[in-house]
Amino acid sequence: MSSRFLLPAGLLGVATLASLAMIFPGATASASGHADANQVSITPSHVTTRACGTVSVKGVTNAVPNAGNPFLSNSKTCLNGHLISYGNTAITYSNPPQSFISAGRLLFAQTCSSCHGNDANGVGPDGQATIGPNLQGVGAATVDFWVSTGRMPATDVKAVEAERKPSRLTPVQALELAAWVNSLDPSVPAVPNPHLRGADQSVGQDLFSLNCAACHTIEGSGDALAFGTNAPSLQDRQVTAQQVAEAVRTGPANMPRFSGNLSDAQVADITAYVTEKLQHPQNPGGVALGGVGPVAEGFVALLIGVGGLALICFWIGERSPKDDDDDEHTEGGDDPDPAKAQEYAQSGQEHA
Amino acid sequence: MSDADHQPSRTRVPMPVAALSDPHMGDAAKNPERTEQIIAVILFLAIVFFGVAGAAYWQNWSDWIFGGALGIGLFALGFGLTAWGKYLMPQGPFVEERHTLASTPEERDVMSAALVERSAVVVKRRRVLGGLFAAGAGVFGIVAAFPLIRSLGPVPGTSLETTGWRKGMVLVDSSGRPVRKETLVVGGIMTVYPKDTVNTETGFISDQGQAVDQTVLIRVSDQPFTTEPGRENWTPAGYVAYSKVCTHLGCPVGLYEQQLELLVCPCHQSMFNVRNGAVPQFGPAPRPLPQMYLGFNDDGYLIAMAPYDQAIGPGFWERNS
Amino acid sequence: MSNTAATTKRNKKQALGPYGRVGQAVGELDDRLGVAKGGRVFLDKIFPDHWSFMLGEISLYSFVVLMATGVFLSLYFIPSTQQVIYHGSYKPLDGQWVSEAYKSTVSISFDVRGGLLIRQMHHWAADIFTGSIIVHMARIFFTGAFRKPRELNWIIGTTMLILAILEGFIGYSLPDDLISGTGLRIGYSIAESIPFVGSYLVTFLWGGQFPGTGIIIPRFFIIHVLIIPLVLIGLLSAHLGLLVRQKHTQFKGEGRTENNVVGSPMFPTFMAKTTGFLFMVTAATAILGAFTQINPIWQFGSYDASKISYAVQPDWYMGWLDGALRIMPSWELAFWGHTVPLEVFLPAVIFPGIVFQIAIMWPLIERRFTGDIAMHNLLDRPRDRPKRTAFGVAFFAMLFTLFAASSTDVLANFFHISLNVVLWFFRFAFFIVPIISGLVAYQLCREMQGVHDIGQRKRALIVHFSPEGEYSTVPSATRPDDERHELDPEPVPVRIDIEPLSNGGIRQPESSPTGARQVNR
Repeated sequence: MSSRFLLPAGLLGVATLASLAMIFPGATASASGHADANQVSITPSHVTTRACGTVSVKGVTNAVPNAGNPFLSNSKTCLNGHLISYGNTAITYSNPPQSFISAGRLLFAQTCSSCHGNDANGVGPDGQATIGPNLQGVGAATVDFWVSTGRMPATDVKAVEAERKPSRLTPVQALELAAWVNSLDPSVPAVPNPHLRGADQSVGQDLFSLNCAACHTIEGSGDALAFGTNAPSLQDRQVTAQQVAEAVRTGPANMPRFSGNLSDAQVADITAYVTEKLQHPQNPGGVALGGVGPVAEGFVALLIGVGGLALICFWIGERSPKDDDDDEHTEGGDDPDPAKAQEYAQSGQEHA
Repeated sequence: MSDADHQPSRTRVPMPVAALSDPHMGDAAKNPERTEQIIAVILFLAIVFFGVAGAAYWQNWSDWIFGGALGIGLFALGFGLTAWGKYLMPQGPFVEERHTLASTPEERDVMSAALVERSAVVVKRRRVLGGLFAAGAGVFGIVAAFPLIRSLGPVPGTSLETTGWRKGMVLVDSSGRPVRKETLVVGGIMTVYPKDTVNTETGFISDQGQAVDQTVLIRVSDQPFTTEPGRENWTPAGYVAYSKVCTHLGCPVGLYEQQLELLVCPCHQSMFNVRNGAVPQFGPAPRPLPQMYLGFNDDGYLIAMAPYDQAIGPGFWERNS
Repeated sequence: MSNTAATTKRNKKQALGPYGRVGQAVGELDDRLGVAKGGRVFLDKIFPDHWSFMLGEISLYSFVVLMATGVFLSLYFIPSTQQVIYHGSYKPLDGQWVSEAYKSTVSISFDVRGGLLIRQMHHWAADIFTGSIIVHMARIFFTGAFRKPRELNWIIGTTMLILAILEGFIGYSLPDDLISGTGLRIGYSIAESIPFVGSYLVTFLWGGQFPGTGIIIPRFFIIHVLIIPLVLIGLLSAHLGLLVRQKHTQFKGEGRTENNVVGSPMFPTFMAKTTGFLFMVTAATAILGAFTQINPIWQFGSYDASKISYAVQPDWYMGWLDGALRIMPSWELAFWGHTVPLEVFLPAVIFPGIVFQIAIMWPLIERRFTGDIAMHNLLDRPRDRPKRTAFGVAFFAMLFTLFAASSTDVLANFFHISLNVVLWFFRFAFFIVPIISGLVAYQLCREMQGVHDIGQRKRALIVHFSPEGEYSTVPSATRPDDERHELDPEPVPVRIDIEPLSNGGIRQPESSPTGARQVNR
C-alpha cells in the first residue's frame, strides 16, 4: 500500500477505538475475575448480568455505594449466573449455597406452604389469597431473619405481628428455606455477616439513638407500640449480630427498612453497639432495675426506701396508746387547769 | 424563783427530784445487761465496716464495696444509738403541760390598740405622706420587676413561628449526605436537616438544625401521591417530609411503623397517618405535623421547595392556626 | 501524794462547783446569752412516741443528705451547654459532641473516686425526700393535725412539697442527657401553652426559640443549688420553729389530754433516737446508692433535640403529670388568630394548680364544711372521720391512677394488650377509681367505728363440751404481751438522785423548790 494512507488510516483507527471505548465502558472495579459487568443492563428493579443472572434490587438502594446493593459494593462474587456474595470490609452478604435449594423446597412444602402457597407466592391451590404474603423477591436475608428468630412458622396467625420465640428450625434449615425462596426470584439483600472487629461503638451509639431508640428504647429493652405492634427487646443475647443486620436492611413487619441512609460500615457499627454494649451492660452503679427507667426507680425508692425507713420508725416508736375508758381526756379549746398543776406539785412530794 | 413569778400563764410545775429506783428512770429493756452487750457488738461492727469503707476508698475498690460498707456501718451506728435511746434510757413516759398559746384578752386589746390607734394618729395627721409613700413603694415594685424579668431574654417576636428552611435548601442526613431519589427504598425513614446546619467535617449539628429544622423523611411509595388537596406536587418519587417536632409537646416523632404507615410520637403516643398529611389519628396531639413541599434540584438532590407553611411544634397563644 | 497537793487538787475541784466544767460552761454562756432557763426548757421538751410522728424526720434527714451530697457534686459539675467532643472513660461516647454539663456528670460517675456513689445517693435521697414528704403529709391529713392552731404549718409544708418537686425536676435536668433533656423540651412546651404570657415566659427563660441560647442549664444550676435550697431552709426553720412553739400533737390515750404532751424528753432520749435515725436514713441512701443503679446517664447520651427514646418517663413525683398529659383528649382552641392548646394547658398547668390549691387550702376547706373552729391538740384516728378519710383516699387514688397512666406503654407491653385499649381504660379509670375508692374507704371507716376493739389482738376462745352435750366457750388467759403496761406519765424531774460525777464525790446539799427533799450521800 502507499504510505500516504498510513496516517489517515491510523487516525481513523484511533477514532474508531476511542468511540468504541466511549460507547462500551470498561469493567467495573471488581476484585473477582469472573465478573462480566460490561453487560450490566439496569432496569428499575432488576439487574441482569451473564455472571450473576437476574437479581432483583428492589429492596436496596441504587444510589449510595456500600449500602447493600451488590452492584455498588466494593466486592462481588458471581458464578454461573448466580450471585454468591458481595459486600465490603464491614459486612459480607452471601446467598446460601445452591445445594440447599432442593432441601429447602421440601422443607417449605412441609412447613410454610399452608400459609404462603406452594410456590411461596401468596396464592393457595384454589387460587385464593393465602393468609401469608407473597415471598417471591424478598431475598435470602428476609427469610433467614424470620425463620431464625422463630417468628416463622407463626403459631398465632391472627396476631397483629408474629412474635419472637425459640426457633423450631435449625439455622441450616433456615438457610435452606432461604435458598429455595430466593431461587424463585433471586433478590437482595443476601444474608449479611457483619465484621465487628473494626466497628466503632461510638458511631453505633450515635446512630442507634437517632434511628433505633425511638422504637426499641435507648437501652434496647423494647416496648409495645401502636395497635398491638411491638418493638422487641435487643438486650436479649439470643439476638445475634446477623439478625440485627438482617433486620436493619430488610425492615421486617413494621420496622422501617434502612437502605441508602445507612452504609454497611454504619450498620456494622450499630450492630456492634447492640451486641457488645446493649447486650452486655456493665451497670457500674449496681442492680439495673430492668432498665425501664424512673418508674422502677420510683417504686424502689418508695417501697424499699420510704417503706423500709417507715418500718424502722415502727420499731423505734410506739404503737397507739390504749384509749382511756373514763372520759378524763378533754376535747375543745380548754385552757390548762391550774388545779391539775397543783396535783402534780403535791404528788411530786410523795416520790421517794 | 419559780416560773410562776415570771409567766403566770405557764402552769407547768416540774417534779423536784426523782430517785434512780423510780421506774420512770429505769430501762425499758427486760434484760438491760444483755441489751447493752448486743448494742455494744453492733456499734463495734459499725467501726469495723467503716474501716472496710475506708480501705475500699483508699485502695480504689468498686463503689459498691465502699458504699455498701459505709451504708451498713452507718446503719449499725444509727441502730446502736437508737436502740440505746429506746431500751437503755429513762423509759418515762414523761409529761409536760401545754401553756396557753394565746395571750390574755387584755394583752390582745393592747396590741390591737397599738396598731389601730397609732396608725390613726399618723394617718389623721399625715395622710398625704402616707399615700405618697405607698404610691412610691408600689411604683418601685413595678419598676423593679423590669430588670428582673425583661432582661432575662428576648421577646418571642416571630421566632416561634419560623424555621430555618428556605426554598432551595438541600436536605442532608446527620452526616451531611444529601438525599437522592434512590437513597431510601419504600418503607425507609431518615431524619434530615438543612445542609448549612450540619458541619460535615466535625459532625456538629447546630441547635437550630437539631431542635427547630429537624424533619422526618419517609419513602412511602415509588410514585408521588397527594396528602391533601393542593399538595399534589409535594411528594416527588413518593418521598414525604414532615416536621419532626410533635405538635403536642415537641418531642421528635421518630417512631415509624412502615406497614401501618403511621408515625407515632414516643412520648405520649400520638399517632400520625403519613398518607393523609400526618393528621393525628389517636392520642393527645391536636394538629397535623406540618408537611414540607419537596422537590429535586438539578443535581438530583432532594430540596425544600418552600419553608413550612405554618408554625411547627406545640401550640402557643400567638399561633395563628 | 502530799497532803498539800491533795488538798489543792480537791480545792480546785471544789472551786469548779458540783457540776464541774459543764457547770462552768453553762455559767459562762448564761452570763452572755441568758440561755440557762430556756435551755433547760428546751431539754425538757416532750416528744410523743408514736411511730408515725417520725415520718417527717425521714424528710428532714434525707434533706440533710441531699445538701451534703449536693455540695460534693457542685464541686465537680460544670453548668454549661457548651458543646465539646467527649474523650473519656466511657468508650461508646468517644468522639461524640456532648455538652459540658453532660461530660462533667459522666466524669463524676467514672473518674471521680466515690463520685458515682455520691451521685446515686443524691438521686435516691431526692426520691425518698419527696416520697417521705407525701407520706408525712398523709399522716397529718388523716389524723387532722392541720387543724387550728397548725394551719400555717400545713401551708408551709405543702409549699415545701411543691418546692421539693420542682427542685427534683430541675436537679435531674442538670446533666443535660437525652432523657431529662426531653423532659425539659416538654417543660418548655407546657410553659409555652399558657395563654397571653406563655411565649414570653419561655423566650425569657430559655433565651429564644427552643433550645434558646443554652442559658437554661446555668440558670437551673443556680436555682437548684442556691435559690430553692435557701427558701427550703427558711421554710424548714419556720416549720420546725412552729412545731417547737405549738408543741407536737398526740393521739388520745391514758393520761393524754388536750393540755399536755406525753412522751420522751428531748435530752437524752429523743436526741439519741433522732440522731440514730439520721444515721439510718443516711445509711438507707448509701445502701441504695451502692447497690442499685439509678439514672445511668452514660447509656442515654447527651441531649440532641432530634433524638428520642421510647418509654421515656420523668421521675416518679412527676409521673402523675405525665399520665394526665397522656390521657387528655386532643382539644385545642383556635380562634381569631390565637391558639389555646387545652390538651397541654389543662392537664399540665390548670390541673396541678387545682390539686395544689386544694392541698394548700385544705384546713380552710375542712373548716368550711365542719364549722370546727376549736383548738385541737389531740389527733383523730382516721376511722373517726370517715368523710375526711374518704376524700383523702379518693384524692390519692386519683393521683395513683394518673401515675399508673404514665406507664401505658409498659402496661400494654406487659399484659399484651393494645396501647389504645389501655389508654381508654385510664380515661375512664381517672373518674371511676377515685369514686369507688372513696366510697369503699368511707364504708370501711364506718364499719371500723362499730367494732370497739378493732386492731387489738383477740383472745382465743376455748371451746368446752359439757357432759350434757352443750358447747360453751371460755376466753383463754391473756398473754403477758397483750396488756401493754404503761406507767402513769410524770413530769421530767428537776434533778435525779445521782451524784454529779465531776467533783470526785463531794456533794453540795441542795434544797428543791418545794423544800421537800434533802439528799443523803
